[in-house]
Amino acid sequence: MAWAHGWLGLIAGWILFTMFLTGTSAYFRPEITRWMQPEIRAEATPPAQAADSAVRYLSRVGPDDLQWYIYLPDARTVATRIFRMPAKPDPKMRGDELDLDPVSGAPLTARETKGGEQFYRFHFQLQLPHPWGRWLAGLCAMAMLGAIISGVITHKRIFADFFTLRWNKGQRSWLDAHNVSAVLGLPYHAMITYTGLITLVTMYMPWPVLMNYASPAQFMQTAYGTPADVPASGVRRPLVAIAPLVRDAEQRLGGPATRVIVQNPGDAAARITIAQAKRGAINSRTPIATYDGATGRFLSRSGDAAVAIDTAGVMLGLHLATFAGPALRWAYFVMGLTGAAMVGTGLLLWTAKRRKPGAAPFFGLKLAERLNIAVIAAFPAGMAAYLLANRLIPATLEGRADMEVSAMFWTWGLLALAQFGLPARRAWTVLFAIAAAFWTAIPVVNALTTARWLVPSLLDGDQLFVAFDLSCLAIGIGFAAAARISARPAPKTPGRSRRTMEPAHA
Amino acid sequence: MAWRWITAILGGYAFAVAAAMLTARLLPAPDATARVEATGWPMILSFLVYAGIGLWALHEVRLGRVSAVIWGGAIVMAVTLKLLGVRP
Repeated sequence: MAWAHGWLGLIAGWILFTMFLTGTSAYFRPEITRWMQPEIRAEATPPAQAADSAVRYLSRVGPDDLQWYIYLPDARTVATRIFRMPAKPDPKMRGDELDLDPVSGAPLTARETKGGEQFYRFHFQLQLPHPWGRWLAGLCAMAMLGAIISGVITHKRIFADFFTLRWNKGQRSWLDAHNVSAVLGLPYHAMITYTGLITLVTMYMPWPVLMNYASPAQFMQTAYGTPADVPASGVRRPLVAIAPLVRDAEQRLGGPATRVIVQNPGDAAARITIAQAKRGAINSRTPIATYDGATGRFLSRSGDAAVAIDTAGVMLGLHLATFAGPALRWAYFVMGLTGAAMVGTGLLLWTAKRRKPGAAPFFGLKLAERLNIAVIAAFPAGMAAYLLANRLIPATLEGRADMEVSAMFWTWGLLALAQFGLPARRAWTVLFAIAAAFWTAIPVVNALTTARWLVPSLLDGDQLFVAFDLSCLAIGIGFAAAARISARPAPKTPGRSRRTMEPAHA
Repeated sequence: MAWRWITAILGGYAFAVAAAMLTARLLPAPDATARVEATGWPMILSFLVYAGIGLWALHEVRLGRVSAVIWGGAIVMAVTLKLLGVRP
């Protein structure tokens, strides 16, 4: 089992480390997006008002659309996000997704950016084309699950070792660090891995549906209570006022509304579906209310779901942490970093174990060491470059959103390659120092390019901007410490004993 | 060794998929809600099956036994599914 644990952990570990870092940052996805568009200073808007202004805008630009998707702002997001399905797709428009001011309904003018979406999407798509990214991420998640199970089986003395942490003993220390980060957070790591697989279960395991239903759509309708799509009747009728419907839905559903879907707007067969916001319960699948769009008549409310569906919904909610308030969200964040530490110390342990003093390293060991540096030191520097690029690229420059993403990957790539100019030991220190420089630069560059830096934000009581800048500073200090530690002379490693070797078999 | 990993990763997946499909098909489902349950639970639990059978494939020394159980099992389950057909 230790052998399986080692190989699963090593091969998937490099990708898993990046998944942990980007996934952990995604707990603050809307906050990152808000920091990256400092021009926007929106106030909290009631969902009904935001829906009303969005519908007024959509009625002007897309009266003949097939469907409108309206994502209403909440305490953490400031913009209304809309998505249109036009009757005739316009090839000139890049997607039909837009952010609107929740009060006026006008498209928001702020620097074009992917915001927190970039890290969030990388987390499960790995910047690869659909569907390969998700499949690779899923494979790595399965390796993670296997590594967790085999790790627990391997760790027979799991309770005794719980309290063992030997500093400065090389391989032994890395093992202890790996055990501590893995065991202390084991409930979280197991939960996040399994629930992560469940988030894409309909992609990874759809076939049982085909054994029990004529079509996937039939299963969705029965399982999720989504009313069947209604075709347009061709008779034009103005859409009923939306704000009263939203208020009515909030009353029926028992919580603020988050999403409005309008089918066939402007048609007699218009349908309006309103979903409750996720803050109320762990279950990510919240109830929906459906209304006739032409008359405003209440049609149906989604009923009780099967236990399996509710279970999947709760698992989804646990993974996304959408239900979490600020304190719990920070706790999730810390646990996510512990997960990254678990993977990282595992990778470092693998190389530490195989480094023999005096003997030349074999090719696999050299490769693993260089990949470790590329992922543990260079990738975080790339993430910082993305945030720096947001402040450094002019706000009105066309295509700047893609440039920010390019900055992330060019920085990561160039650093990952540049490390070869240095011996591995020195490369760790230099790359950690660069990561430290980039992360601490973020609040500085923020001060130089915007008015919303640390001091004005403190005076304004702008918690988000203060927390963001201070967090970047803390991360930078962490990397500076890592650089210093990595520059220390190599500790004495005790010799390998017969006990630590396990037979491998073909 | 390569064959062991292929069996663990690909064979294990095939085994888990077939097992989930077969379980979904065979669990009793007298009404619409039960049918959703019979479909949903095997989907949710399939990852445990995959992880379990995959680790066993790496752990069990006798490769012949591993191949027979995983590939053979997947094939037997697939044939059973084909004969059963979709639930009416």
